[in-house]
Amino acid sequence: MPILQIKDITKVYEGKVTHRALNQLSFDVEDGEFIAVMGRSGSGKTTLLNIISTIDEPTSGEIILDGMNPHKLNATELAYFRRRQLGFIFQDFNLLHMLTVEENIILPLTLDQQPLEVMEERLKSIVEKLDLTSFLHKRPNEISGGQAQRTAIGRALIHNPSLILADEPTGNLDSNSARDVLELLTKVSNERKTTIVMVTHDPIAASYCDRVLFIKDGEFFNEIYKDDRRQLFFQRILNVLSLLGGGQVGDLSTIRLP
Amino acid sequence: MTFRQFAYRNVVRNSRVYGAFFMASFFSVAVFFIYSMLMFHPDIESGILGEVSMIGMIGAEIVLVLFTLFFLYYSMSAFLEARSREFGILLHLGMDKRQMNKLVFLETMIIGAASIIVGIIFGFSFSKFFFMIVREILHLEELPLYVSWEPFVLTIGVFTSAFVVITFTSVYLRRERKLLDLMKGSNYLHSVISYSKIRAIYGIALIISTYVLVLLVSYTSMIGLTLLIPFSATFGTYYFFSDSVPFFLDLARGKRKYHWQRYRLLSLAEQTNIMQENVKVFFVVTMVSTMAFLSVGVLATMSSYTTQYERLNPLGLIYKGDIDNPYESEHINLLMEQLEEKGLSYHLTRFVVIKQTSSFTHNEVEVFRESDMNTLLSSFGYPMLKLSAGEAVFIPYSEESLKKLKNTVVHTVLEENEIPLTIDSVYPEIVFPGSIVSVNSIVISDEDFAKLKKPIADADIVQPSYKLFTFDIPQWMETKEIGKEIDHLAVDEYFIKKENRSPFYFENAGLNYSYILATYSLFTLVGVLVATVFLLAAGSFIYFKLHTSLEHEKRKFDVLKRMGLTDIELKKLVNRHLFPQFFLPWGVAMMHSAFAFFMVQSILKDIANISIVKEVFFAFGFFVIIQVVYFYLIRWRYISHIRT
Repeated sequence: MPILQIKDITKVYEGKVTHRALNQLSFDVEDGEFIAVMGRSGSGKTTLLNIISTIDEPTSGEIILDGMNPHKLNATELAYFRRRQLGFIFQDFNLLHMLTVEENIILPLTLDQQPLEVMEERLKSIVEKLDLTSFLHKRPNEISGGQAQRTAIGRALIHNPSLILADEPTGNLDSNSARDVLELLTKVSNERKTTIVMVTHDPIAASYCDRVLFIKDGEFFNEIYKDDRRQLFFQRILNVLSLLGGGQVGDLSTIRLP
Repeated sequence: MTFRQFAYRNVVRNSRVYGAFFMASFFSVAVFFIYSMLMFHPDIESGILGEVSMIGMIGAEIVLVLFTLFFLYYSMSAFLEARSREFGILLHLGMDKRQMNKLVFLETMIIGAASIIVGIIFGFSFSKFFFMIVREILHLEELPLYVSWEPFVLTIGVFTSAFVVITFTSVYLRRERKLLDLMKGSNYLHSVISYSKIRAIYGIALIISTYVLVLLVSYTSMIGLTLLIPFSATFGTYYFFSDSVPFFLDLARGKRKYHWQRYRLLSLAEQTNIMQENVKVFFVVTMVSTMAFLSVGVLATMSSYTTQYERLNPLGLIYKGDIDNPYESEHINLLMEQLEEKGLSYHLTRFVVIKQTSSFTHNEVEVFRESDMNTLLSSFGYPMLKLSAGEAVFIPYSEESLKKLKNTVVHTVLEENEIPLTIDSVYPEIVFPGSIVSVNSIVISDEDFAKLKKPIADADIVQPSYKLFTFDIPQWMETKEIGKEIDHLAVDEYFIKKENRSPFYFENAGLNYSYILATYSLFTLVGVLVATVFLLAAGSFIYFKLHTSLEHEKRKFDVLKRMGLTDIELKKLVNRHLFPQFFLPWGVAMMHSAFAFFMVQSILKDIANISIVKEVFFAFGFFVIIQVVYFYLIRWRYISHIRT
């Protein structure tokens, strides 16, 4: 049973220049799956993510999340839906600078008016898992990028959402932090059976996923599944990417696995 | 595209960004111009308000200019701060520092010129309306609109130089910042909470001790302490904002049970942040608002004094002289002549007042004769007195005494002549102003009065009796010119001849009233004007501050919306974000001025015997309304900015 179904989503931006960002895109995401969406800049990745996170409406088509279509809800219900069902991880972390690390993580639960005991209990288990204990009372501007992204992951996980949406989570991190974050996401996906949809440019990041979906100019292009060996999977991703670039391999940056 | 064209297009095509600054400048110009129109008014110059007013008006104009300068400087810095990203891009493209300064200068001059022109047009079109208000306040016959070059030249001159000064100072006083930081957009300080517990306690303690001091002053009238109050209030307020409030917020944040609830988590953190960044602004706004409240309160007091004046001073002219006063007949004839010349009807009453000692208090008491009193009372149209031998009536000297003496019954004997008296009532109207009659004044029957043969025994008293001439003039407001010579003579006796006491005393209610009215009008004009500018500025400070951090706020709310913040919750959060910024400084200012009024009230009670409670409540109510309107106005703008 797929937890997320994308059915013929089309998104057209009207304005002085009409632009078709997504064109009849369809795919399913299984429960507990860790999926990466790849494509070049402007291929519609972020639009897709915005539509799934319900802050943008598709021009046509529908999405079904956990058996219902969130775009049919009214504004308040939608907000409640987002706060309970979805978790977000951003490229630039988007932690609230005036809150401490601890407060940032707990924020979704306070918005949902959970009792204090529940909050403390969840916080404790998450913090241990993410190894955040030593800087719980620091401010976001006092910690490193990797720590900040781990905090953001904590914030995305604390309310046990059915779907986590990650927008280039490793985009602002150095290679070591990026590897940590990706391993963490894999672990979360395996242990807690959390479904993650990650949008990325980075073939290395994509190679940690169960499946990689490629889109080109807003249309479905290809998809590949994970191998036993990550090295091989990475190679295949590169191959698809070179096809995606219109056959000109020179378009791609040369990347080696660390 | 030349450099000048670039600057011009920058302004014209970004009217929304420049709009706020333009509005601030434009309003200042308009207020200044309207005021100048009044100052240069030919009728005013020819002395409706007297010479004191002219100096006062110039003083007020200077205060206005200084405040406007400060206000514009603040707006300008906030405005430049908000545009730091744009400057970053320009510097990145290779613009050098001098060119950028030139750009800022050109732009400010364009905005300045536009606001001067629009402000003057706006001011001129509203000056007739303003004159109408002034005419009402000053009780003038008419105050026509006029056209003269002076206000225009003054306004243009003052504001052109103001804009030049402001541009230079704000450009050169700007902190040097790295290009990289500029590119990141407006500066958002990521500072850690820093407050000291000692200063936090100090702040609260200072404010409380100020209030205690105020109460002390009002109860014991130790006026010397008054000098301390402004200092302790100022420091107390500053520490209150810089340390006490963050301290309390931090205490609240420490309590998870309280803190981890709904938006409290966000709003408390937000408050801490706001407090840190706005200590100076809040402090200035508080002090400025306190001043505005006070000036309006003083106005209200003055207006209440003028309305009560007639009640407290029922007589037009009063001439008080010794029995052997050499000028008596000369002066009284002069007054009568002058009154007739002016065609003013009057009613003259002559009193002989004899001083005696009361056995009840062993103090001096001034005794009036019943028939003299009745002559005056009949001219007022008040009820007459009917006294038989042994009866007496108190003469009230103020509203307070009326109430106090109403239920007092005194059995006394006038010691020198051994006349027993029962004083069992007070005359129900104020007949003489407080400055003329003594605290112990009674009316006795003609029979008893005739028995007063022996003068007062107390050797210290030089004059055992005196004569009083009262002129009851229905048109008492027009007696300003009457008896000027006598007034001058009295002044000469006092100051030139250095005589200890003059054989006569003259009081002209009309003249005094004209002085009071002139001062009052001056205060009204200045007060209204300064309060307007203060109020405008206080609100605008907050608006500009918000404007600067708008980009950042927008991103924050974006994240929160994604995380599932409903629209209602967003509004509530904005409320909690804005509410303290508006009402904390104003609330503190209200507290300050409430205590200040408390003091003023108790001092006034001693001097002028008037109550200002009603007026002050009215003034406060008015301010609260303005505040609430401001709050909703800015909240509406803010929410619409956040949503786009």
